[in-house]
Amino acid sequence: MIAEQIVNGVVLGSMYALVALGYTLVFGVLDKLNFALSELFMLGGFVVIASVGLGAPLWLAGVLVLLVCGSLGLVVEFVSFRKFTSPDAQVTAALSSLAVGLIMIDLVQKTWGGEPVSVPVPIEWRRANVAFFGMQIQVMKIVILVVTLALMAVLHWLITRTAMGRNIRAVAESPTFATLLGVDVKRVNQQTFFIASALAGAGGLMFSLRNGVASSDIGFTFGLKALAIMAIGGMGDLRGAVLSGVLVGVIESLAIQFGFGKLGEVIVWALMILVLLARPGGLFGGAHGTEQRA
Amino acid sequence: MTHDLIFLTGVNILMAWSVYIILLSGSLSFANGGFMALGAYGAGVFTMKWGMDFYAALALAGLGTGLVGALLAYPALRTRGVYLILVTVGLSFIIQTLIQNTDYVGGVLGMTGMTGTTNWHVWGLIGVVGVGLYWLSRSHLQRQLDAVREDERVAASLGIDVVYLKVVCFAVGAGLAAVAGGLYSHYMVFINPDHFNIFVSIYVVLYVVLGGVNNLWGPVIGASVMTLLPEMVRALQTFRPLIFGAVIIALLLVRPNGLLSLRLRTLTAHKERDA
Repeated sequence: MIAEQIVNGVVLGSMYALVALGYTLVFGVLDKLNFALSELFMLGGFVVIASVGLGAPLWLAGVLVLLVCGSLGLVVEFVSFRKFTSPDAQVTAALSSLAVGLIMIDLVQKTWGGEPVSVPVPIEWRRANVAFFGMQIQVMKIVILVVTLALMAVLHWLITRTAMGRNIRAVAESPTFATLLGVDVKRVNQQTFFIASALAGAGGLMFSLRNGVASSDIGFTFGLKALAIMAIGGMGDLRGAVLSGVLVGVIESLAIQFGFGKLGEVIVWALMILVLLARPGGLFGGAHGTEQRA
Repeated sequence: MTHDLIFLTGVNILMAWSVYIILLSGSLSFANGGFMALGAYGAGVFTMKWGMDFYAALALAGLGTGLVGALLAYPALRTRGVYLILVTVGLSFIIQTLIQNTDYVGGVLGMTGMTGTTNWHVWGLIGVVGVGLYWLSRSHLQRQLDAVREDERVAASLGIDVVYLKVVCFAVGAGLAAVAGGLYSHYMVFINPDHFNIFVSIYVVLYVVLGGVNNLWGPVIGASVMTLLPEMVRALQTFRPLIFGAVIIALLLVRPNGLLSLRLRTLTAHKERDA
Protein backbone atom coordinates (compact mmCIF):
# COMPACT_ATOMS: atom_id res chain seq x y z
CA MET A 1 0.00 0.00 0.00
CA ILE A 2 2.70 2.43 0.99
CA ALA A 3 4.63 1.70 -2.19
CA GLU A 4 1.52 2.51 -4.22
CA GLN A 5 1.04 5.73 -2.29
CA ILE A 6 4.64 6.66 -3.05
CA VAL A 7 3.99 6.06 -6.76
CA ASN A 8 0.89 8.26 -6.46
CA GLY A 9 3.02 10.87 -4.76
CA VAL A 10 5.62 10.78 -7.52
CA VAL A 11 2.89 11.20 -10.15
CA LEU A 12 1.35 14.12 -8.25
CA GLY A 13 4.78 15.57 -7.58
CA SER A 14 5.80 15.42 -11.22
CA MET A 15 2.79 17.58 -12.10
CA TYR A 16 3.67 20.06 -9.36
CA ALA A 17 7.23 20.02 -10.63
CA LEU A 18 6.18 21.13 -14.13
CA VAL A 19 4.55 24.27 -12.71
CA ALA A 20 7.39 24.81 -10.25
CA LEU A 21 9.83 24.61 -13.18
CA GLY A 22 7.88 27.41 -14.80
CA TYR A 23 8.02 29.55 -11.67
CA THR A 24 11.69 28.89 -11.15
CA LEU A 25 12.59 29.60 -14.80
CA VAL A 26 10.92 32.99 -14.66
CA PHE A 27 12.43 33.74 -11.27
CA GLY A 28 15.86 32.63 -12.40
CA VAL A 29 15.85 34.86 -15.47
CA LEU A 30 13.91 37.93 -14.24
CA ASP A 31 14.06 37.67 -10.43
CA LYS A 32 10.28 38.07 -10.40
CA LEU A 33 7.22 36.03 -9.50
CA ASN A 34 4.75 35.28 -12.25
CA PHE A 35 1.53 34.50 -10.38
CA ALA A 36 -0.31 34.01 -13.68
CA LEU A 37 1.44 30.62 -14.04
CA SER A 38 -0.94 29.13 -11.46
CA GLU A 39 -3.87 30.11 -13.64
CA LEU A 40 -2.19 28.87 -16.83
CA PHE A 41 -1.93 25.56 -14.96
CA MET A 42 -5.67 25.77 -14.38
CA LEU A 43 -6.23 26.69 -18.04
CA GLY A 44 -4.39 23.58 -19.33
CA GLY A 45 -7.36 21.31 -18.71
CA PHE A 46 -9.82 23.71 -20.28
CA VAL A 47 -7.76 24.06 -23.46
CA VAL A 48 -8.01 20.27 -23.84
CA ILE A 49 -11.77 20.37 -23.37
CA ALA A 50 -12.13 23.17 -25.91
CA SER A 51 -9.90 21.59 -28.54
CA VAL A 52 -11.38 18.10 -28.19
CA GLY A 53 -14.78 19.77 -28.38
CA LEU A 54 -13.73 21.23 -31.72
CA GLY A 55 -12.86 17.74 -32.96
CA ALA A 56 -9.11 17.52 -32.33
CA PRO A 57 -7.62 14.17 -31.30
CA LEU A 58 -6.12 14.01 -27.82
CA TRP A 59 -2.47 14.22 -28.92
CA LEU A 60 -3.20 17.34 -30.95
CA ALA A 61 -5.07 18.78 -27.97
CA GLY A 62 -1.93 18.24 -25.89
CA VAL A 63 0.18 20.13 -28.42
CA LEU A 64 -2.41 22.89 -28.50
CA VAL A 65 -2.17 23.20 -24.71
CA LEU A 66 1.55 23.93 -25.03
CA LEU A 67 0.99 26.45 -27.83
CA VAL A 68 -2.01 28.25 -26.32
CA CYS A 69 -0.61 28.47 -22.79
CA GLY A 70 2.80 29.47 -24.14
CA SER A 71 1.27 32.25 -26.23
CA LEU A 72 -0.76 33.46 -23.25
CA GLY A 73 2.54 33.54 -21.39
CA LEU A 74 3.79 36.00 -23.98
CA VAL A 75 0.74 38.15 -23.30
CA VAL A 76 1.49 38.04 -19.57
CA GLU A 77 5.08 39.06 -20.24
CA PHE A 78 3.93 42.00 -22.33
CA VAL A 79 1.25 43.21 -19.90
CA SER A 80 2.80 42.56 -16.50
CA PHE A 81 6.57 42.36 -16.91
CA ARG A 82 7.78 44.31 -19.94
CA LYS A 83 7.47 47.69 -18.25
CA PHE A 84 8.55 46.71 -14.74
CA THR A 85 12.24 46.08 -15.24
CA SER A 86 13.87 47.64 -12.18
CA PRO A 87 14.65 45.40 -9.19
CA ASP A 88 12.25 47.57 -7.13
CA ALA A 89 9.39 46.55 -9.38
CA GLN A 90 9.33 42.94 -8.10
CA VAL A 91 6.16 43.57 -6.12
CA THR A 92 4.46 45.58 -8.88
CA ALA A 93 5.04 42.83 -11.43
CA ALA A 94 3.81 40.17 -9.01
CA LEU A 95 0.61 42.13 -8.34
CA SER A 96 0.04 42.76 -12.03
CA SER A 97 0.44 39.08 -12.93
CA LEU A 98 -1.91 38.23 -10.08
CA ALA A 99 -4.52 40.50 -11.63
CA VAL A 100 -4.02 38.77 -15.00
CA GLY A 101 -4.65 35.48 -13.18
CA LEU A 102 -7.91 36.79 -11.71
CA ILE A 103 -9.07 37.75 -15.20
CA MET A 104 -8.25 34.26 -16.52
CA ILE A 105 -10.30 32.64 -13.74
CA ASP A 106 -13.23 34.91 -14.45
CA LEU A 107 -13.13 34.27 -18.20
CA VAL A 108 -13.04 30.50 -17.64
CA GLN A 109 -15.95 30.71 -15.21
CA LYS A 110 -17.92 32.86 -17.65
CA THR A 111 -17.33 30.29 -20.41
CA TRP A 112 -17.66 26.98 -18.60
CA GLY A 113 -19.39 27.91 -15.34
CA GLY A 114 -18.00 27.54 -11.85
CA GLU A 115 -18.46 23.76 -11.58
CA PRO A 116 -15.80 21.22 -12.64
CA VAL A 117 -16.09 20.11 -16.29
CA SER A 118 -15.29 16.52 -17.27
CA VAL A 119 -12.32 15.94 -19.57
CA PRO A 120 -12.70 13.50 -22.46
CA VAL A 121 -10.18 10.75 -21.71
CA PRO A 122 -10.05 7.26 -23.23
CA ILE A 123 -11.89 5.19 -20.66
CA GLU A 124 -9.32 2.35 -20.77
CA TRP A 125 -6.62 4.75 -19.49
CA ARG A 126 -8.53 5.12 -16.29
CA ARG A 127 -9.76 1.53 -16.02
CA ALA A 128 -6.77 -0.56 -17.03
CA ASN A 129 -3.99 -1.34 -14.60
CA VAL A 130 -0.46 -2.51 -15.18
CA ALA A 131 1.22 -4.85 -12.74
CA PHE A 132 4.57 -3.50 -11.65
CA PHE A 133 6.58 -5.16 -8.87
CA GLY A 134 3.35 -6.48 -7.41
CA MET A 135 1.62 -3.10 -7.53
CA GLN A 136 -1.39 -2.24 -9.66
CA ILE A 137 -0.75 1.06 -11.42
CA GLN A 138 -3.29 2.85 -13.58
CA VAL A 139 -2.26 3.26 -17.21
CA MET A 140 -3.14 6.93 -16.79
CA LYS A 141 -0.45 7.42 -14.20
CA ILE A 142 2.16 5.84 -16.44
CA VAL A 143 1.11 8.11 -19.31
CA ILE A 144 1.45 11.13 -17.01
CA LEU A 145 4.88 10.09 -15.78
CA VAL A 146 6.19 9.38 -19.29
CA VAL A 147 4.94 12.69 -20.71
CA THR A 148 6.25 14.64 -17.73
CA LEU A 149 9.68 13.03 -17.94
CA ALA A 150 9.77 13.66 -21.68
CA LEU A 151 8.95 17.34 -21.15
CA MET A 152 11.65 17.62 -18.49
CA ALA A 153 14.16 15.97 -20.80
CA VAL A 154 13.27 18.40 -23.59
CA LEU A 155 13.66 21.31 -21.17
CA HIS A 156 17.05 20.00 -20.05
CA TRP A 157 18.13 19.70 -23.67
CA LEU A 158 16.85 23.21 -24.50
CA ILE A 159 18.63 24.79 -21.55
CA THR A 160 21.95 22.98 -21.77
CA ARG A 161 22.43 22.17 -25.46
CA THR A 162 20.89 24.90 -27.59
CA ALA A 163 21.86 28.49 -28.39
CA MET A 164 18.56 29.63 -26.89
CA GLY A 165 19.34 27.86 -23.63
CA ARG A 166 22.79 29.41 -23.56
CA ASN A 167 21.25 32.87 -23.92
CA ILE A 168 18.71 32.12 -21.20
CA ARG A 169 21.49 31.04 -18.86
CA ALA A 170 23.48 34.15 -19.73
CA VAL A 171 20.59 36.48 -18.91
CA ALA A 172 19.90 34.59 -15.69
CA GLU A 173 23.51 35.14 -14.73
CA SER A 174 23.54 38.86 -15.47
CA PRO A 175 21.22 40.77 -17.82
CA THR A 176 23.74 43.59 -18.09
CA PHE A 177 26.64 41.42 -19.23
CA ALA A 178 24.37 39.42 -21.48
CA THR A 179 23.33 42.66 -23.19
CA LEU A 180 26.96 43.68 -23.57
CA LEU A 181 27.68 40.34 -25.22
CA GLY A 182 24.92 40.96 -27.73
CA VAL A 183 22.14 38.85 -26.25
CA ASP A 184 18.67 40.23 -26.98
CA VAL A 185 17.30 40.27 -23.41
CA LYS A 186 13.73 41.07 -24.44
CA ARG A 187 13.71 38.06 -26.74
CA VAL A 188 15.15 35.83 -24.03
CA ASN A 189 12.46 37.01 -21.63
CA GLN A 190 9.79 36.11 -24.16
CA GLN A 191 11.31 32.69 -24.74
CA THR A 192 11.46 32.10 -20.99
CA PHE A 193 7.83 33.08 -20.55
CA PHE A 194 6.72 30.87 -23.42
CA ILE A 195 8.55 27.83 -22.06
CA ALA A 196 7.45 28.43 -18.45
CA SER A 197 3.81 28.94 -19.42
CA ALA A 198 3.76 25.92 -21.73
CA LEU A 199 5.15 23.79 -18.88
CA ALA A 200 2.51 25.12 -16.47
CA GLY A 201 -0.20 24.38 -19.04
CA ALA A 202 1.16 20.86 -19.51
CA GLY A 203 1.08 20.38 -15.74
CA GLY A 204 -2.56 21.43 -15.72
CA LEU A 205 -3.30 19.09 -18.62
CA MET A 206 -1.83 16.16 -16.68
CA PHE A 207 -3.70 17.20 -13.55
CA SER A 208 -7.04 17.31 -15.32
CA LEU A 209 -6.36 13.98 -17.06
CA ARG A 210 -5.63 12.39 -13.69
CA ASN A 211 -8.75 13.80 -12.03
CA GLY A 212 -10.99 13.38 -15.09
CA VAL A 213 -12.22 16.95 -14.59
CA ALA A 214 -10.96 20.47 -15.10
CA SER A 215 -12.03 23.03 -12.51
CA SER A 216 -11.51 26.74 -12.37
CA ASP A 217 -10.35 26.85 -8.74
CA ILE A 218 -7.29 24.58 -8.96
CA GLY A 219 -5.07 27.55 -9.78
CA PHE A 220 -5.21 28.75 -6.22
CA THR A 221 -5.62 25.43 -4.45
CA PHE A 222 -2.95 23.45 -6.33
CA GLY A 223 -1.15 25.82 -8.69
CA LEU A 224 0.03 28.15 -5.92
CA LYS A 225 1.63 25.20 -4.17
CA ALA A 226 4.17 25.22 -6.99
CA LEU A 227 5.32 28.51 -5.48
CA ALA A 228 6.17 26.73 -2.24
CA ILE A 229 7.84 23.95 -4.19
CA MET A 230 9.98 26.41 -6.11
CA ALA A 231 11.10 28.03 -2.86
CA ILE A 232 11.85 24.67 -1.25
CA GLY A 233 13.94 23.64 -4.23
CA GLY A 234 15.73 26.97 -4.33
CA MET A 235 14.50 29.93 -6.35
CA GLY A 236 15.91 29.66 -9.85
CA ASP A 237 17.15 26.09 -9.36
CA LEU A 238 15.73 23.77 -12.05
CA ARG A 239 16.93 20.50 -10.55
CA GLY A 240 15.71 21.62 -7.12
CA ALA A 241 12.22 22.33 -8.51
CA VAL A 242 11.91 18.77 -9.82
CA LEU A 243 13.29 17.16 -6.66
CA SER A 244 11.16 19.19 -4.29
CA GLY A 245 8.09 18.68 -6.48
CA VAL A 246 8.46 14.93 -6.10
CA LEU A 247 9.26 15.33 -2.39
CA VAL A 248 6.12 17.38 -1.77
CA GLY A 249 3.96 15.01 -3.84
CA VAL A 250 5.17 12.04 -1.81
CA ILE A 251 4.71 13.89 1.50
CA GLU A 252 1.12 14.77 0.57
CA SER A 253 0.25 11.24 -0.54
CA LEU A 254 1.74 9.74 2.61
CA ALA A 255 -0.07 12.32 4.76
CA ILE A 256 -3.35 11.15 3.26
CA GLN A 257 -2.33 7.50 3.66
CA PHE A 258 -1.61 7.98 7.36
CA GLY A 259 -4.87 9.84 7.96
CA PHE A 260 -3.60 13.40 8.25
CA GLY A 261 -5.73 14.44 5.28
CA LYS A 262 -5.34 18.05 4.28
CA LEU A 263 -2.78 18.70 6.99
CA GLY A 264 -0.25 17.63 4.35
CA GLU A 265 -0.78 21.08 2.88
CA VAL A 266 0.36 22.68 6.11
CA ILE A 267 3.56 20.64 5.93
CA VAL A 268 4.30 21.98 2.44
CA TRP A 269 3.91 25.63 3.36
CA ALA A 270 5.60 25.24 6.73
CA LEU A 271 8.52 23.52 5.02
CA MET A 272 8.70 26.41 2.56
CA ILE A 273 8.83 28.99 5.36
CA LEU A 274 11.51 26.99 7.17
CA VAL A 275 13.60 26.65 4.03
CA LEU A 276 13.28 30.35 3.21
CA LEU A 277 14.42 31.28 6.70
CA ALA A 278 17.15 28.70 7.19
CA ARG A 279 18.41 27.96 3.67
CA PRO A 280 17.24 30.68 1.26
CA GLY A 281 19.27 28.96 -1.45
CA GLY A 282 16.96 25.94 -1.36
CA LEU A 283 16.98 22.51 0.22
CA PHE A 284 19.18 20.95 -2.44
CA GLY A 285 20.92 24.08 -3.61
CA GLY A 286 24.27 25.67 -3.11
CA ALA A 287 26.75 23.03 -4.15
CA HIS A 288 26.19 22.97 -7.89
CA GLY A 289 25.91 26.73 -8.15
CA THR A 290 25.25 28.62 -11.31
CA GLU A 291 25.47 25.75 -13.76
CA GLN A 292 22.04 24.45 -12.73
CA ARG A 293 20.54 27.91 -12.34
CA ALA A 294 18.38 28.73 -15.31
CA MET B 1 -29.56 45.11 2.96
CA THR B 2 -28.24 48.65 3.11
CA HIS B 3 -27.27 47.95 6.69
CA ASP B 4 -25.20 44.93 5.64
CA LEU B 5 -23.58 46.93 2.89
CA ILE B 6 -22.52 49.70 5.25
CA PHE B 7 -21.09 47.09 7.59
CA LEU B 8 -19.23 45.25 4.83
CA THR B 9 -17.76 48.49 3.52
CA GLY B 10 -16.57 49.32 7.02
CA VAL B 11 -14.89 45.95 7.52
CA ASN B 12 -13.22 46.20 4.12
CA ILE B 13 -11.89 49.67 4.97
CA LEU B 14 -10.45 48.33 8.22
CA MET B 15 -8.87 45.40 6.34
CA ALA B 16 -7.46 47.73 3.69
CA TRP B 17 -5.94 49.87 6.44
CA SER B 18 -4.43 46.78 8.03
CA VAL B 19 -2.60 46.09 4.75
CA TYR B 20 -1.73 49.78 4.44
CA ILE B 21 -0.15 49.87 7.91
CA ILE B 22 2.11 46.93 7.01
CA LEU B 23 2.86 48.57 3.68
CA LEU B 24 3.97 51.75 5.47
CA SER B 25 7.25 50.01 6.20
CA GLY B 26 7.52 48.63 2.67
CA SER B 27 6.29 45.06 3.31
CA LEU B 28 3.43 43.55 1.36
CA SER B 29 1.31 41.04 3.26
CA PHE B 30 -0.88 38.37 1.70
CA ALA B 31 -1.65 36.96 5.15
CA ASN B 32 -4.22 39.50 6.31
CA GLY B 33 -7.13 37.23 5.39
CA GLY B 34 -5.49 34.66 7.65
CA PHE B 35 -5.08 37.17 10.49
CA MET B 36 -8.71 38.15 10.01
CA ALA B 37 -9.61 34.47 10.43
CA LEU B 38 -7.53 34.24 13.61
CA GLY B 39 -9.37 37.28 14.99
CA ALA B 40 -12.80 36.07 13.89
CA TYR B 41 -12.33 32.63 15.39
CA GLY B 42 -10.34 33.86 18.39
CA ALA B 43 -12.93 36.43 19.43
CA GLY B 44 -15.69 33.89 18.69
CA VAL B 45 -14.09 31.31 20.99
CA PHE B 46 -13.55 33.93 23.71
CA THR B 47 -17.18 35.07 23.77
CA MET B 48 -18.96 31.81 22.91
CA LYS B 49 -16.91 29.19 24.72
CA TRP B 50 -15.17 31.13 27.45
CA GLY B 51 -17.99 33.55 28.17
CA MET B 52 -15.80 36.60 27.82
CA ASP B 53 -17.03 40.17 27.39
CA PHE B 54 -17.36 41.27 23.73
CA TYR B 55 -14.91 44.16 23.98
CA ALA B 56 -12.38 42.17 25.99
CA ALA B 57 -12.59 39.35 23.43
CA LEU B 58 -11.94 41.76 20.56
CA ALA B 59 -9.00 43.35 22.34
CA LEU B 60 -7.49 40.01 23.30
CA ALA B 61 -7.93 38.59 19.78
CA GLY B 62 -6.28 41.70 18.33
CA LEU B 63 -3.35 41.65 20.74
CA GLY B 64 -2.85 37.90 20.46
CA THR B 65 -2.90 37.92 16.65
CA GLY B 66 -0.58 40.91 16.57
CA LEU B 67 1.89 39.04 18.74
CA VAL B 68 1.59 35.84 16.71
CA GLY B 69 1.98 37.81 13.48
CA ALA B 70 5.09 39.54 14.73
CA LEU B 71 6.68 36.31 15.94
CA LEU B 72 5.91 34.51 12.68
CA ALA B 73 7.02 37.32 10.44
CA TYR B 74 10.03 38.55 12.40
CA PRO B 75 12.56 36.38 10.56
CA ALA B 76 10.92 36.99 7.20
CA LEU B 77 10.76 40.76 7.70
CA ARG B 78 14.51 40.97 7.60
CA THR B 79 14.24 40.05 3.94
CA ARG B 80 12.38 42.10 1.39
CA GLY B 81 10.15 41.81 -1.63
CA VAL B 82 9.19 38.42 -2.96
CA TYR B 83 10.42 36.39 0.03
CA LEU B 84 7.92 38.08 2.33
CA ILE B 85 5.18 37.61 -0.28
CA LEU B 86 5.92 33.88 -0.32
CA VAL B 87 5.97 33.61 3.47
CA THR B 88 2.69 35.49 3.89
CA VAL B 89 0.97 33.42 1.18
CA GLY B 90 2.16 30.37 3.10
CA LEU B 91 0.83 31.74 6.39
CA SER B 92 -2.56 32.36 4.79
CA PHE B 93 -2.82 28.73 3.65
CA ILE B 94 -1.48 27.34 6.94
CA ILE B 95 -3.97 29.30 9.06
CA GLN B 96 -6.91 28.31 6.86
CA THR B 97 -5.95 24.63 6.77
CA LEU B 98 -5.33 24.49 10.52
CA ILE B 99 -8.76 25.98 11.23
CA GLN B 100 -10.35 23.52 8.80
CA ASN B 101 -8.82 20.69 10.81
CA THR B 102 -9.63 21.98 14.29
CA ASP B 103 -12.82 20.34 15.51
CA TYR B 104 -12.99 22.63 18.55
CA VAL B 105 -14.05 25.51 16.28
CA GLY B 106 -16.19 23.35 13.98
CA GLY B 107 -13.66 22.46 11.27
CA VAL B 108 -14.91 22.93 7.72
CA LEU B 109 -18.49 23.26 8.96
CA GLY B 110 -17.73 26.52 10.70
CA MET B 111 -18.83 28.15 13.88
CA THR B 112 -22.10 29.84 14.68
CA GLY B 113 -23.83 31.92 17.33
CA MET B 114 -21.65 35.04 17.58
CA THR B 115 -23.63 38.28 17.92
CA GLY B 116 -23.06 41.76 19.21
CA THR B 117 -21.43 43.85 16.48
CA THR B 118 -23.31 46.90 15.26
CA ASN B 119 -22.36 49.39 12.61
CA TRP B 120 -21.50 51.82 15.42
CA HIS B 121 -18.67 49.54 16.53
CA VAL B 122 -17.23 49.27 13.04
CA TRP B 123 -17.47 52.93 12.13
CA GLY B 124 -16.39 54.00 15.59
CA LEU B 125 -13.24 51.94 15.15
CA ILE B 126 -12.74 53.42 11.69
CA GLY B 127 -12.89 56.86 13.30
CA VAL B 128 -10.33 55.92 15.95
CA VAL B 129 -7.94 54.25 13.49
CA GLY B 130 -8.42 57.10 11.03
CA VAL B 131 -7.49 59.71 13.63
CA GLY B 132 -4.52 57.57 14.65
CA LEU B 133 -3.30 57.23 11.07
CA TYR B 134 -3.82 60.95 10.47
CA TRP B 135 -1.76 61.76 13.54
CA LEU B 136 0.86 59.29 12.33
CA SER B 137 0.98 60.90 8.89
CA ARG B 138 2.01 64.20 10.49
CA SER B 139 4.49 62.73 12.92
CA HIS B 140 8.22 62.04 12.87
CA LEU B 141 7.44 58.34 12.76
CA GLN B 142 5.95 58.75 9.30
CA ARG B 143 9.20 60.32 8.06
CA GLN B 144 11.12 57.35 9.40
CA LEU B 145 8.69 54.93 7.78
CA ASP B 146 8.98 56.77 4.46
CA ALA B 147 12.73 56.43 4.69
CA VAL B 148 12.49 52.70 5.41
CA ARG B 149 10.07 52.18 2.55
CA GLU B 150 12.06 54.13 0.00
CA ASP B 151 15.48 52.73 0.85
CA GLU B 152 16.20 50.46 3.79
CA ARG B 153 19.95 50.81 3.63
CA VAL B 154 19.87 54.58 3.66
CA ALA B 155 17.34 54.51 6.51
CA ALA B 156 19.56 52.17 8.52
CA SER B 157 22.57 54.40 7.89
CA LEU B 158 20.57 57.32 9.36
CA GLY B 159 20.21 55.39 12.60
CA ILE B 160 16.65 54.13 12.07
CA ASP B 161 15.99 50.66 13.50
CA VAL B 162 14.57 49.18 10.29
CA VAL B 163 13.67 45.69 11.55
CA TYR B 164 12.02 47.09 14.68
CA LEU B 165 9.80 49.43 12.66
CA LYS B 166 8.84 46.67 10.24
CA VAL B 167 7.95 44.25 13.01
CA VAL B 168 5.85 46.86 14.81
CA CYS B 169 3.99 47.74 11.61
CA PHE B 170 3.41 44.08 10.84
CA ALA B 171 2.11 43.40 14.36
CA VAL B 172 -0.22 46.41 14.34
CA GLY B 173 -1.52 45.51 10.88
CA ALA B 174 -2.11 41.89 11.89
CA GLY B 175 -3.84 43.03 15.07
CA LEU B 176 -6.13 45.41 13.19
CA ALA B 177 -7.03 42.67 10.71
CA ALA B 178 -7.87 40.41 13.68
CA VAL B 179 -10.12 43.03 15.29
CA ALA B 180 -11.86 43.50 11.95
CA GLY B 181 -12.28 39.72 11.84
CA GLY B 182 -13.73 39.70 15.35
CA LEU B 183 -16.24 42.39 14.40
CA TYR B 184 -17.05 40.43 11.23
CA SER B 185 -17.76 37.14 13.00
CA HIS B 186 -19.97 38.81 15.64
CA TYR B 187 -22.01 40.45 12.91
CA MET B 188 -22.32 37.52 10.53
CA VAL B 189 -23.27 35.08 13.35
CA PHE B 190 -21.95 32.21 11.21
CA ILE B 191 -18.40 31.84 9.87
CA ASN B 192 -16.47 29.05 8.18
CA PRO B 193 -12.84 28.79 7.00
CA ASP B 194 -13.86 29.55 3.40
CA HIS B 195 -14.78 33.09 4.42
CA PHE B 196 -11.09 33.75 4.95
CA ASN B 197 -9.41 32.07 1.98
CA ILE B 198 -6.46 33.41 0.01
CA PHE B 199 -8.79 35.44 -2.21
CA VAL B 200 -9.70 37.64 0.75
CA SER B 201 -6.03 38.44 1.31
CA ILE B 202 -5.49 39.10 -2.38
CA TYR B 203 -8.55 41.31 -2.79
CA VAL B 204 -7.67 43.42 0.23
CA VAL B 205 -4.18 44.02 -1.13
CA LEU B 206 -5.68 44.98 -4.47
CA TYR B 207 -8.09 47.45 -2.77
CA VAL B 208 -5.05 49.23 -1.39
CA VAL B 209 -3.19 49.12 -4.69
CA LEU B 210 -6.26 50.50 -6.43
CA GLY B 211 -6.78 53.32 -3.97
CA GLY B 212 -3.19 54.31 -3.42
CA VAL B 213 -0.38 52.94 -1.33
CA ASN B 214 1.12 56.06 0.17
CA ASN B 215 -1.65 57.99 1.91
CA LEU B 216 -4.33 56.94 4.33
CA TRP B 217 -7.29 57.90 2.10
CA GLY B 218 -6.26 55.62 -0.73
CA PRO B 219 -7.24 52.36 1.02
CA VAL B 220 -10.55 53.94 2.11
CA ILE B 221 -11.43 54.93 -1.45
CA GLY B 222 -10.24 51.61 -2.90
CA ALA B 223 -12.18 49.49 -0.40
CA SER B 224 -15.36 51.60 -0.59
CA VAL B 225 -15.43 51.78 -4.36
CA MET B 226 -14.78 48.07 -4.81
CA THR B 227 -17.42 47.12 -2.22
CA LEU B 228 -20.14 49.60 -3.15
CA LEU B 229 -19.82 49.99 -6.90
CA PRO B 230 -20.61 46.33 -7.80
CA GLU B 231 -23.75 46.57 -5.63
CA MET B 232 -24.95 49.70 -7.37
CA VAL B 233 -24.26 48.78 -10.96
CA ARG B 234 -25.62 45.39 -11.91
CA ALA B 235 -23.32 44.86 -14.89
CA LEU B 236 -20.30 45.48 -12.69
CA GLN B 237 -21.34 42.70 -10.35
CA THR B 238 -21.37 40.15 -13.15
CA PHE B 239 -18.00 41.16 -14.48
CA ARG B 240 -16.46 42.13 -11.17
CA PRO B 241 -13.19 40.12 -11.24
CA LEU B 242 -12.74 40.90 -14.93
CA ILE B 243 -13.12 44.66 -14.60
CA PHE B 244 -11.29 44.72 -11.29
CA GLY B 245 -8.33 42.83 -12.77
CA ALA B 246 -8.23 44.98 -15.89
CA VAL B 247 -8.37 48.20 -13.84
CA ILE B 248 -5.53 46.99 -11.61
CA ILE B 249 -3.34 46.10 -14.60
CA ALA B 250 -4.02 49.41 -16.32
CA LEU B 251 -3.43 51.31 -13.10
CA LEU B 252 -0.12 49.61 -12.39
CA LEU B 253 1.04 50.47 -15.89
CA VAL B 254 0.03 54.13 -15.65
CA ARG B 255 0.32 54.94 -11.95
CA PRO B 256 2.29 52.28 -10.08
CA ASN B 257 1.53 53.93 -6.73
CA GLY B 258 -2.24 53.85 -7.04
CA LEU B 259 -4.97 56.30 -7.96
CA LEU B 260 -4.50 58.64 -5.02
CA SER B 261 -0.73 58.80 -4.86
CA LEU B 262 -0.63 62.39 -3.63
CA ARG B 263 1.90 62.14 -0.87
CA LEU B 264 5.59 62.49 -1.65
CA ARG B 265 4.65 63.83 -5.04
CA THR B 266 7.03 66.74 -4.67
CA LEU B 267 9.83 64.57 -3.39
CA THR B 268 9.66 61.93 -6.08
CA ALA B 269 8.15 63.85 -8.96
CA HIS B 270 11.20 63.42 -11.15
CA LYS B 271 11.38 59.73 -10.27
CA GLU B 272 7.79 59.10 -11.32
CA ARG B 273 8.30 60.80 -14.62
CA ASP B 274 11.26 58.57 -15.36
CA ALA B 275 9.56 55.37 -14.28
